[in-house]
Amino acid sequence: MGRINRDAIVAIVLLLFSGVFFWASFDIRQPDYGTLSPAAWPRVIIAVLALLSLVYLAQSIRRGPDKAPAEEPPVRSVGDWFRKWRNVLWCFVLFFFYLASLPVLGMLLGGIAFVFLLLNVLGGWSARNLALHAAVAVISIGAMWSLFTFGLGVILPTGIIFNPFR
Amino acid sequence: MIIENVMLAFGEILTLKTLLLMMTGVAAGLLAGAIPGFTIAMAVVLTLPFTFNMPPSQGLATMVSVLVGGLSGGLMAGILTGIPGTPSSVATTFDGFPMARKGRPGLALGLGVWSSFFGGIISAILLMTFAPQLARIGLEFNPWDYFMLVMFALTITASLAGANMIKGLIAGALGLLVRTIGEDEAIGMARFNFGNDALLQGFNFIAVLIGLFAFSQLLSDVRDPKLARKSLMERTSMQVRIEHLQALREIAKRWTNVIRSAFIGTFTGILPGAGGSVANILAYDQAKKASKNPEEFGTGTPDGIIAPESSNNAVEGGALITMMALGIPGDVTTAVMLGALLIHDVVPSPSFISDEPVLAYSIFLAFFLATFMMLFLQSFMLRVFILVTRVRMYVLAGVILGFCGIGVFAINNVEFDLWTLLWFGIIGFVMRQLGFPLAPMILGVVLGNIAELNLSRAMAITTDLSPFVTRPWSLFFLIIAVFSAFFPYYQEQRGKKTWTRYYPAALAACAAPPLFMMGGLVRPVLAAALLSLAAYLLYQALQKRSAA
Repeated sequence: MGRINRDAIVAIVLLLFSGVFFWASFDIRQPDYGTLSPAAWPRVIIAVLALLSLVYLAQSIRRGPDKAPAEEPPVRSVGDWFRKWRNVLWCFVLFFFYLASLPVLGMLLGGIAFVFLLLNVLGGWSARNLALHAAVAVISIGAMWSLFTFGLGVILPTGIIFNPFR
Repeated sequence: MIIENVMLAFGEILTLKTLLLMMTGVAAGLLAGAIPGFTIAMAVVLTLPFTFNMPPSQGLATMVSVLVGGLSGGLMAGILTGIPGTPSSVATTFDGFPMARKGRPGLALGLGVWSSFFGGIISAILLMTFAPQLARIGLEFNPWDYFMLVMFALTITASLAGANMIKGLIAGALGLLVRTIGEDEAIGMARFNFGNDALLQGFNFIAVLIGLFAFSQLLSDVRDPKLARKSLMERTSMQVRIEHLQALREIAKRWTNVIRSAFIGTFTGILPGAGGSVANILAYDQAKKASKNPEEFGTGTPDGIIAPESSNNAVEGGALITMMALGIPGDVTTAVMLGALLIHDVVPSPSFISDEPVLAYSIFLAFFLATFMMLFLQSFMLRVFILVTRVRMYVLAGVILGFCGIGVFAINNVEFDLWTLLWFGIIGFVMRQLGFPLAPMILGVVLGNIAELNLSRAMAITTDLSPFVTRPWSLFFLIIAVFSAFFPYYQEQRGKKTWTRYYPAALAACAAPPLFMMGGLVRPVLAAALLSLAAYLLYQALQKRSAA
């Protein structure tokens, strides 16, 4: 277990991923017509992927355990991990809620709320920042929304709360 | 015929709206190229949603303009701050920054701008000359040849994308697999939808591209909380005037360097996978070798700015040659361009230039015009660039993430595409962190259906697999794919292991038989030349061995 490094774990995950897709390829219906089965090409890719993952695993195991990068503080606890990836996790979580709230908030309000909240969590919640971030969010998303809606004729999700076309 | 097509293309491009869009595109590209952390590919990917409702020629002209602007933008940051705006302008900093520090930033910028201009123009001429010729060769391709060409493009991209070739190949295979999700294009059977109806349509590949490339790049830019709160650059308050006349005088004295570097750039661009990041270093190295004063390189010599800037602007002309002539994108940016063509129901293939001459010549013309626009906009954008560098990274990244959402929804007006953006943003970010190159995956996504359709066509003609090795073009691509797969090991072991001495000779010898098989006059002569080269290289290798 001491010889397992990050790349080896990734290779094992890729092998499992290949296994799942290979198993799922048996759900693909086989029609009576056509010379190339719809499952054939994906299976070729999965076989190549599995083979490459095996080579990757062998390379990783031969390389030995990971050495911690000198420039970054070591991650010792779950808290350290969250601190290290805090900004990225905020981006994922806020974007997730932005998408989940689209039917209610629509793209204009949802987009402004997303950018405003994201700028604050990334840049800080001081009074000056709140005003600045609100202005940036309203102007940038408002301008882009107007450009797509009025300039390019794209109907963006309106939401329940605010529907300018009602 | 050509003149007629050029005139029709002029009619398409020379409208006020198109010219304004192109100007905006060049300006946006110059800015995106100048900001470290924002790549040209990201700028082109983010331009795509704006072009959906435009006529194809207008949309593509806008995207070409962003591309041309982006290629030239990197020099501003590189020369003024020593931090290259894009990987394509890394070598520009070697002499551009020392020259600026010696008190000649205006001359350094002038040399960069004019070299970019000449590089772009030479490349545009080569694009217009070679693309139709290459397309004529492409018409000889059968499904077996096409399938093998895609495999070659993926292999060489993986081998050039990073230090670890296996990771590049895995990324390429993942891209191909992603493209198989949903109904297959040949007979419409559902694949890997896991009971989800939304997945029946497959992932929208533009959403996948924006997620993999732009979304994940923005996440990487804000990962470090301290860096995310810093201004984009600290040292850009200097007032600079570009010294155009002096720069032109210096370039006139060094015109061979401009032409050589532009050719290096164009031919690097033609090769799938090798983009500006390779070309600028290669051209710099060649300029140094050809110089009478190589010791001056790195101290602020004009040749050290001319070579990388001339070559990196020429790269996209080369990449467009392959994309327009064969329908195979040379790099991520041309993969996005290919996506833009597909959105407008134009399928690039060898018959693209003859089937859609006006559109093809509009792209040629846009490349020319955008190069001129770049020249005039550079001085103005320099001032804007200095203003933009005061913005903090997290503000720019947050706003662009918001734009990504709106832009991706606009593709099909489908919310599922936004989820695709998020999931592929996460996948792209994780892959970046784990050291997987994204370019092979993106090419896999773009080329996946081309490969499958051609395999399907080949199987419909005959289930015999031997044409893959008996047809000359297919065999040729197979051979160079195998050699390109070993190329990273060759580079790593060169001079250390005996087999590396014979690698170039073996490549030349193995590439010759398919050329003989093609018949005619030129190709067998070329094959004979390759065999002679192989014999010479082998002789040299044996001489070295006996000397050792």
